[in-house]
Amino acid sequence: MRLSWKRAWIVARREYLATVKRKGFVLTLVAMPRDFGGIKVSATRSADSSRVETLRSFTRLAVVDSSGLLADAPRVITTKVAVDPTGDPGREETFRTEVEFLPDQASLEAALREGRARRGVVVPADYLASGRLRRYSRAQNLLTSGGGTRAVERWLAQGLLAGRMDSLRAERVSQPSVQLDDYALDRDGSFALRDERREAVEFMVPFLFSVLLGTCIITGGQYLLQGLSEEKESRILESLLCTLSADDLLAGKLLGLGAAGLTLVAVWLGAGLALGGPMLALANVQLPPLLLAVALAYFLLGYLFYGSLMTAIGAVTNNMREAQQFAMMFTFANFLPFIVMTSILGNPNGPTAVGLSLLPPTAATAMMLRLALPAAEVPAWQLAASLGLLALTCWLVLRGAARVFRIGLLMTGKTPSLPEIMRWARPGR
Amino acid sequence: MLEVRDIVKTFDDRTVVNHVSFEVHPGEIFALLGPNGAGKTTLIRMITDILKPDSGTIRLDGHAVGGGDRQRIAYLPEERGLYRRVPPLDVLVYYGQLKGLSAGAARAAGTALLERMELGEWANKQVQTLSKGMQQKVQFCTALIGEPRLLILDEPFTGLDPINTQLFEEILAERRAAGTTVLLSTHQMNKVEQLCDRALMINHGHMVLYGPVGELRARHADHAVMLRCEGRPEAVPGVRAVEAADGGWKLMLEPGASPQEVLRGLCAAGVPVASFAVASLPLEDVFVKVVREGLGLDHGLSGPPEPEPAKGGTR
Repeated sequence: MRLSWKRAWIVARREYLATVKRKGFVLTLVAMPRDFGGIKVSATRSADSSRVETLRSFTRLAVVDSSGLLADAPRVITTKVAVDPTGDPGREETFRTEVEFLPDQASLEAALREGRARRGVVVPADYLASGRLRRYSRAQNLLTSGGGTRAVERWLAQGLLAGRMDSLRAERVSQPSVQLDDYALDRDGSFALRDERREAVEFMVPFLFSVLLGTCIITGGQYLLQGLSEEKESRILESLLCTLSADDLLAGKLLGLGAAGLTLVAVWLGAGLALGGPMLALANVQLPPLLLAVALAYFLLGYLFYGSLMTAIGAVTNNMREAQQFAMMFTFANFLPFIVMTSILGNPNGPTAVGLSLLPPTAATAMMLRLALPAAEVPAWQLAASLGLLALTCWLVLRGAARVFRIGLLMTGKTPSLPEIMRWARPGR
Repeated sequence: MLEVRDIVKTFDDRTVVNHVSFEVHPGEIFALLGPNGAGKTTLIRMITDILKPDSGTIRLDGHAVGGGDRQRIAYLPEERGLYRRVPPLDVLVYYGQLKGLSAGAARAAGTALLERMELGEWANKQVQTLSKGMQQKVQFCTALIGEPRLLILDEPFTGLDPINTQLFEEILAERRAAGTTVLLSTHQMNKVEQLCDRALMINHGHMVLYGPVGELRARHADHAVMLRCEGRPEAVPGVRAVEAADGGWKLMLEPGASPQEVLRGLCAAGVPVASFAVASLPLEDVFVKVVREGLGLDHGLSGPPEPEPAKGGTR
């Protein structure tokens, strides 16, 4: 490849500055973390507040006991809930629900209709043998109708045992593992006390990192596509190509727009660490430097892979719409690991997870996803093979893309067919 | 200065440029002519090293084109475009830097060019706010920045009003005086007659005309002289017919008769000659004739295809 680094650097600087000054870039930079964070926080808060609100309004339970099994059941249900699950674990709120026994179903329905009770339970005469219950509630929403269910089930267990054993034992039967110290074998081979909050954060950090990686790879590629389509549509390329070679232009674009992608990663990561740093420190989560180095390597190789493809697509298509259609299938490949995430999460060492983390188009996001999972055991050879295969493919794709780029840049009119493009990509053209 | 030797370019099975050879001398304005689809753009793309010839050589000042020569060649393509959301001065700084100028030098040169093009007050406004003619002038500046040795212009006058056409011509004259060589591709034959020293015409990738513009016009004209005088000349030695033409007379000469003999005959006969000129065909007519009748170098009608020796031993 005949290349002038000086001219490539001039192109890279222009591409970088032109991109980061775009309104679209600034919007992506600011809006993405804001929206993502906003959705996450509001979803968490919404779920928590919905649960608390349900329990707060659940002040009375109407019961019709035709079995007589619950005659000695407690007349009050007490429920303790952590108000802020991500904050101070000591902050709990206690909710109190009175239990009112009613003679028949008609009076239970009337109590619910008039709002004297939020929920009702009808215990048939054959409950002990059949286990069949009828539950009534005022709420019709699928998601909210289940609120308070655990409290009612705990009360039923206590009620069935009341008078047959002491209340403490009955309480334990109803909540056998309310304070559970859960130990698990860690990666060092010793049993450690599991901390769900830390595990969640430990998973979320690399998981978000892989989402970030995938997004930035594709965003950088999209900028390449957009820039080239604009240059092709506005007929700038011919006078530009008299001044510098197609290889200078390709290298400059890849460098400049890759730097723009890295800027996104750096700013988002910096913002994430600034905002989430205290939480990481609280959960005693550390980001191993090796993980960061691996992530950087995947970003660079992944970007080079997709960036090369996007430049080739930009060169052979006539406008942005056409280019987007071509690019769609490659964008899909990058996010394939997220589409089959259930399979990867369920079996992070299985053939799907390993295969996708070795396959170059999906390697970056799939491997980062696997590295996020505590249950995944990623042998060093897999990591080396994944990076090696990706690097080799990058080299081949870059060379092929450079050939397609040189031929396709000045073409207008009919978009070449895939066999034609493949022919251009072969050496000797 | 520019030496093109026997170049061939084939796309798939179609030969677009077929054994073309010519030279462009330092400081001359050289016309590249040909009908649409003749292979002119492909030829220019090979000279600018955008495309590689399948065979043959292209040399600039004795060196094969490519690499460092990019900074010495500038090209204004027929299909033009600029970054739309960028100020003209920034566009020129970018092109200037690509041609090897420092940022400061590129800014100074860009500012001077925009001033010369009467676009100084538009230097920092976005290109998309400029009129089409103004954008064409900015594009011309992108070709001029960096003082190129060889300036290739493809239809530079298209869409320009007479005042801006004159401005372009003045700038071309200035550049020529400063030693810049110009290769001009155009269909405006009056501009070729007015500006160019020599011309090459290609058709279907083949050379069909090559030489000084005046010679090409004379070579394809009738064997005749144009005369202005009082009354119709009669019985002039060496003249086989007299026709009225352009307010004067066109004297059709007998085979073997020379214009000098005819002029002597006219003087001897006491004809009061107001003007006398060897008849020549307008270049546009030469163009049409050569293309329509399939004439040209390949048919042995316009002289040998070998390039002429350089003028004054400057090469």
